[in-house]
Amino acid sequence: MSTEHQTETPMVEIRNVHKRFGDLEVLKGINLTVNRGKIISIIGPSGSGKSTLLRSVNQLEVIDQGEILLDGIQVNRPDKKGLAFERHINHIRQNMGMVFQHFNLFPHLSTIDNVTLAPRKLKGMDKNVARELGMELLDRVGLAEKAEVFPNWLSGGQKQRVAIARALAMQPKVMLFDEATSALDPELVEEVNRVMRGLAEEHMTMLIVTHEMGFARDVSDWAMFMDGGVVVEEGTPDKLFSDPDQERTRNFLSKHLGDHH
Amino acid sequence: MEFDFGPVITYFPTLLKGLGVGFLVALVVAFMSIVGGLLVAVISIYINKVVSWPLRFFIWLFMTTPLLLQLYFLYFGLGEWILIPAILVGILGLGFHYMAYNADIFIATIKSVSDGQYEASRSLGFGHGATIFYIIVPQAFIRAIPQLGNNMILMVKDTSVLSAIGVAELVYASQYAISVTFRPFEFFIVIAMLYYLINIFMELGQAWLERQTAYRR
Repeated sequence: MSTEHQTETPMVEIRNVHKRFGDLEVLKGINLTVNRGKIISIIGPSGSGKSTLLRSVNQLEVIDQGEILLDGIQVNRPDKKGLAFERHINHIRQNMGMVFQHFNLFPHLSTIDNVTLAPRKLKGMDKNVARELGMELLDRVGLAEKAEVFPNWLSGGQKQRVAIARALAMQPKVMLFDEATSALDPELVEEVNRVMRGLAEEHMTMLIVTHEMGFARDVSDWAMFMDGGVVVEEGTPDKLFSDPDQERTRNFLSKHLGDHH
Repeated sequence: MEFDFGPVITYFPTLLKGLGVGFLVALVVAFMSIVGGLLVAVISIYINKVVSWPLRFFIWLFMTTPLLLQLYFLYFGLGEWILIPAILVGILGLGFHYMAYNADIFIATIKSVSDGQYEASRSLGFGHGATIFYIIVPQAFIRAIPQLGNNMILMVKDTSVLSAIGVAELVYASQYAISVTFRPFEFFIVIAMLYYLINIFMELGQAWLERQTAYRR
């Protein structure tokens, strides 16, 4: 990828990944390496397989073929079945934060409990310690004063910021963003983007599936255009967004540049 | 004919005793039918077919036959082999009956919790079981409160059916008082009013509980 750093080590490796839904092959041999602290954006039309690819990184979609590695450890384990796989994947997922298009905050828990539930129950973190961590994270996304509020009382942008704080609470090695701003009103997009930029500045490794071309171009170290289950083109954001080699990339970008959705 | 509520006042302690028995039965049945209903729902949704089929059959059986028949079956039918105290039969019969109805509600509300909730929990590292316990069931429970409340109100009224197998609840107690005083109208009016009052209190409680949990849905 970028050549400035010679000491780069891979955080996420995606090797020849195939995924099939019935007769439809939605991922046809995808390869991607995400180095530590790097930000990769994946763009493409609906149905291109970009969300499926992201969801296969933490095995919300179990892949049919290929390999996914997190920090050198294999994530997909076709050799492990049932409870053995369950134990393995639960452990792996604690190191990957995921942010969803529709936020999926837990409506029965207050904002602070949304953030602290996982560290308390999964890491056995002391309640007070967890609360301190939770408040710190809520402060980081600018919502410390909403700690006791329930998700239904938050705006979409606020919900997504809490969702980011919730994912960060497990101190993940990588953050996966699945169209994190697609369900938001345009005026709420920026507050979420700001939080994501903050993470970028702290060198969080991120994989971002997005429709926000401007944001992807700004924030990414590497950009990838997918269509029909294959990577059509990838490169530095400058190259991919202003001077793409492929006709399909150009067509897609001409439809989406300057467009928020 | 003239109304004379004197006998009702004389036998009011008897009625209160019946009310107490009914209350005790209702309390145990509420606990049993809610906890049991939730368990039945979780098992029938998440555990394999071998376990869930008998449970679905159980729900179907208790929902398609009359409560009175179920009580007769348990008390007189099983009574051929084992003698179970009437109050225990009443609790079990009413408990299973409403367990089936409550399970039906929980099955619907569990299924109504979005897949996104499950995925969000799993993505944090919670396992299947932990996700059901911490995320799905609490939300399903909150969503079930209005219908559970309705069921429990029906259940409290149905405790009167237990008089048929000799459980000394309110209606049974009044039957005794009536047999001595020959004043059925007066007693039935007072009992109807008592049920009405209980109903009002339960509806208030239900509305309060709904208000307390609405924002958590």
